[in-house]
Amino acid sequence: MLTLDLLINGLIIGVFYALMAIGLSLIFGILKVVNFAHGEFYMVGAYAYTLSALALGISPWIALPFALLVGLLLGLVVERLLMRPLYSGYTSWGVMRDEYAVIVTFALSIFLINIVDKVVGPYAFKGPALIGISRITIGPIAISGHRLIAAIVAIVVIIAVALIIRYSFWGRQIQAVSQNRLGASLAGIDTAKASAIVFSLAGGLAAVSGALLANIFNPTPDVGVFPAIKSYVIVVLGGMGSVPGSIVASLVLGVLESFGGVYISYQYRDTFGLFILILFLLFRPQGLFGEKAREV
Amino acid sequence: MLFRRAGLLAAGLFAFSATAFAADPIKVGVTIAQSPPGSVSQGTQVKDGLEVAAKMINDAGGVDGRKIELIFEDTQGIPEKARAAVEKLITRDQVVAVTGEHQSSAALAGIEVAHRYHIPYINTNGWSDVIREKGYPEVFNPGNYNSRVAIAVADTMKSLGAKNVVAFCENTDYGVGLAKLIGVQIGERAKDINYKYETLDRASKDFLPAILPLKANPPDVVVEIMLPPAAYILINQLNEQGVAPTKKTLIYDASGIADYPDFWKNVSDSAVGMLVFGLYHPKMPLPELGKKIAAAYVAKTKGDPNRLLFQAADSLYLIAEAIKVGKSTKPDDMIKALENIKWTGTRGEITFSHEKSGFKYHQWLDVPYVTFQITKVNEPVADMKLVQEPGKPLDPSKLEKTK
Repeated sequence: MLTLDLLINGLIIGVFYALMAIGLSLIFGILKVVNFAHGEFYMVGAYAYTLSALALGISPWIALPFALLVGLLLGLVVERLLMRPLYSGYTSWGVMRDEYAVIVTFALSIFLINIVDKVVGPYAFKGPALIGISRITIGPIAISGHRLIAAIVAIVVIIAVALIIRYSFWGRQIQAVSQNRLGASLAGIDTAKASAIVFSLAGGLAAVSGALLANIFNPTPDVGVFPAIKSYVIVVLGGMGSVPGSIVASLVLGVLESFGGVYISYQYRDTFGLFILILFLLFRPQGLFGEKAREV
Repeated sequence: MLFRRAGLLAAGLFAFSATAFAADPIKVGVTIAQSPPGSVSQGTQVKDGLEVAAKMINDAGGVDGRKIELIFEDTQGIPEKARAAVEKLITRDQVVAVTGEHQSSAALAGIEVAHRYHIPYINTNGWSDVIREKGYPEVFNPGNYNSRVAIAVADTMKSLGAKNVVAFCENTDYGVGLAKLIGVQIGERAKDINYKYETLDRASKDFLPAILPLKANPPDVVVEIMLPPAAYILINQLNEQGVAPTKKTLIYDASGIADYPDFWKNVSDSAVGMLVFGLYHPKMPLPELGKKIAAAYVAKTKGDPNRLLFQAADSLYLIAEAIKVGKSTKPDDMIKALENIKWTGTRGEITFSHEKSGFKYHQWLDVPYVTFQITKVNEPVADMKLVQEPGKPLDPSKLEKTK
């Protein structure tokens, strides 16, 4: 029974990790930069969901798409104001590209944490549950109704994103830009637009993840720091820029932490991912689904 | 004639400057958490308590005619930041004493700096015994201490007739220190109790891997030794998994978090039935100063008084009293005055132990405490059921059964 409990809990946590990591992976795939403010998109989503539901009294089922919308808009605004210089007319910045991305996303992260801390306040808020059933018992397994529904919603969102990326018009253009930005540009694809869509989508996914977990993880302004660190680990494990890799790595990490926390030590639970990361960097640096290198 | 005039002028200038110095405010440094990951709930309560006390002291004419000026620094509950904050307060702001600290890890960092500069440090709420065991003459502890909580927990577990007790503690000096001390006290006072503890990362959010193994064989009591927001998440996840509170398993909150302003916004029905270690309950008798501080706090914040309000007020009043008795703001005079103080504060008569070994050094040993039980959602502390009064053992017959 404990094994089944741990497996289910690990998979559920893995699904939430995946929701976060897919966005980060997409951004890396398109822009080849790491967004250090990704955790703060998660935080903004958690607050948008919680405060809109508690302060405005709207249904959690309306607050959830609202949080998605806030995340999408935040991603779009950040891309237009802060990320666009990376690839739009700032050719002389070429050598500074990575430094710019690191500094600007770090600054954004600190800015968002502090602005929420000052405007909303530093206190924790428990987000409302999506359903009123506090505990669902399936055989020997007990799980909170919200956790189960949130996991189902997360799975639906992940499937929808995977289908959009694979089959939609813009999804195919994103894939093309991810494979070769210059080549896609020469083929007539608006790479700036593809980048904007990806950044916006990543913001939305992180925000939904934050919203879904707001009932379980009681958001505070720094709530995004931990999931962001997990996401960085997952993106490298899965293969930089690989969406399927991120999903598999998320589930593996979730289950690994769940079992390791019981059978090895709970105190070292957050180090398991980092340990695996070191092993991967030593023996399979391209990750599970990544490519060794690509030159054009 | 010329010399006489110059002499008079110099004397006049000296007198003027001496008067000006006499009117200068007495600067007191305060380190508190005003942003996460530190406990902002605690930080806010301490800040309110200090401000209420400072206003009362200043309205009454200050200390020997000088006003108290509080200088706040945010530590975020992080030791490195606490160390830097105390350094800044002492060297740049020239404070005469430091107080306010409410998290043990930050206090342990702060006292090192205060000790180096030989500046009095009134530890408002750092519970870790290690703070006392350092034996620094500058550090005085009018607040609670881990050994006292450990004894309270062990006595309560014995009164409850518990056989299996599991504690979840945060990975801080306070959390791990208290969990270990509870083990020691249970070993001495209730040998037949099977006790173990698990350390949890206070920055983490998912505690299920630590909770799930309890489902097969739930303990009689889960002792929670964490600060918010991690404490709230743990309580919710214990309830989510049906581990506690149940008919079989009680939750005992050893951190006294039930009077935090954001408590009910974060736990809802998960906390009903929980036993709480309390350093303040409205039904506890208070000295005159305590009643005045409580009234001033209610007028200022419209909120209910809480333990940290009284601890913070006592901390500042002790500094003022040390200056008055020592007739100076010099560290040696203040320290000597504090060592021999016998003063009735907001919670009782405070004296500091001179016993140099262990947790007793410069500690007010008789800090009063109670135990109360939460009986319904959104219950104010005043309505929570007092099941153990100060100086008396817990009465199990007063406990309400968990549904």
